[in-house]
Amino acid sequence: MNILAVNGLTKHYPKFRLQDITFTLKWGRIMGLIGKNGAGKTTTLKSLLNLVRPDRGYVEMFGQDFHRNEKQCKQKIGVVLGGVDFYMHKKLSDITAVTKRFYPNWDERAYQRYLDTFELDPTKRVKELSAGMRVKYMIALALSHHAELLIFDEPTSGLDPVSRDDLLHLFRQLVKTGERSILFSTHITSDLDKCADDIAYIKDGTLLKSAEKFEFVQSFQHLRRPDEKGELTLEEIMIRTERSSYDV
Amino acid sequence: MFKLLYKELRLAAHPNLFIFTLLGAVVIVPAYPYGMVFIFGCLGPFITFMYGRETNDIYYTALLPLKKKDTVKAKCLMMVAAQIGQLLISLPFAFLRAGLLPGGNPAGIEANVAYYGFGFMVYTVFNVIFLTQFFKTAHKVGASFLKAIVPAVIGVVIMEVIVHLPGFEWLDSIELDQMLRQLPILVVGVVLYISGMLFTYHTAAKRFEQVDL
Repeated sequence: MNILAVNGLTKHYPKFRLQDITFTLKWGRIMGLIGKNGAGKTTTLKSLLNLVRPDRGYVEMFGQDFHRNEKQCKQKIGVVLGGVDFYMHKKLSDITAVTKRFYPNWDERAYQRYLDTFELDPTKRVKELSAGMRVKYMIALALSHHAELLIFDEPTSGLDPVSRDDLLHLFRQLVKTGERSILFSTHITSDLDKCADDIAYIKDGTLLKSAEKFEFVQSFQHLRRPDEKGELTLEEIMIRTERSSYDV
Repeated sequence: MFKLLYKELRLAAHPNLFIFTLLGAVVIVPAYPYGMVFIFGCLGPFITFMYGRETNDIYYTALLPLKKKDTVKAKCLMMVAAQIGQLLISLPFAFLRAGLLPGGNPAGIEANVAYYGFGFMVYTVFNVIFLTQFFKTAHKVGASFLKAIVPAVIGVVIMEVIVHLPGFEWLDSIELDQMLRQLPILVVGVVLYISGMLFTYHTAAKRFEQVDL
């Protein structure tokens, strides 16, 4: 069963066009949404969350029409938008005190456990946390209201290699019971090597391919030069697909 | 509704919102243009909107399990709470002033029934313009404020000047019979404020639905 199904999502801007994005995400899986900067990854995530109003398209979340059941669906999701940090000068305890009021199934014991696990100090202010710790705080909030779908926009961007590996390891831990799924965007192909089950590739606002990782890699092997023997890596696939030639 | 207001006051509000709200107390000052209280009641929310843009408050609210229009409702509630709170805070000081300093306010209008009626009207003008303009984009705070504060200030100036004109002295009185005469101004002000906020919420929510965050 799909936890998320995106169908024909389309958004036109004067200088950019997100065209007919269609993919599905199953329970217990991690999907990496990949593309270079400006390809439309963030617009896709924002459109499916109704932060950006799509021109066309249908989003089904937990088997429900998201746009008609926005409030109910949002009870079961956790979202981290890239580069968007809330209330930098507020303490974590203040943000939590407000956030938990909006979730009837808030689990305070679980929240305290996640604070301990992620070594988060609730008396600290958001600005005092590293980028990785901020993502972990948002994950702690999401897990404390038992979010089943986690949506992250470039969560590993700006993290050092150790923090990035730590976060990707945490992603795998989160889905291992099969009760949660993760959709995250990235332009770092090694993130996908380490933790993605499925990959959706967006180029210039169009979905080139969405498939299980092995099938995805195989479908791009036609980009190999005749003299090349090994399989193309995800990085090579992306570079060869996106490569520009400049006539200067 | 209370959750939204709690969120506004605990996370979104800039400390100046509370300070400007408390400035309702300046009606105890012996000689002061009390119309400034209403300007403070517009400045407090404006600074909070500026602060909200820096703290990504709109994104936080939009990601909560709410409908998009609830983001607008939260801001309307915050403004109403601040402005009504300010007028309520000013009330005991207005009574105290009338008892302690019966000589009157030489700088402008007295804190009487007409004054509160005009206050509701000034707030209505500001709120309708500011909120409906702001939620066209959800980020142009300064331009929306300028469009709203100019007519609000004109309203305050008219209120302060009119009491000095011959024939309008009754608007400056704190005598009981004269304040009863002023009562329709208060009633009109309250009716305008309530209907103005309802109109503002519906119009701003409709505009915000079209905004891409």
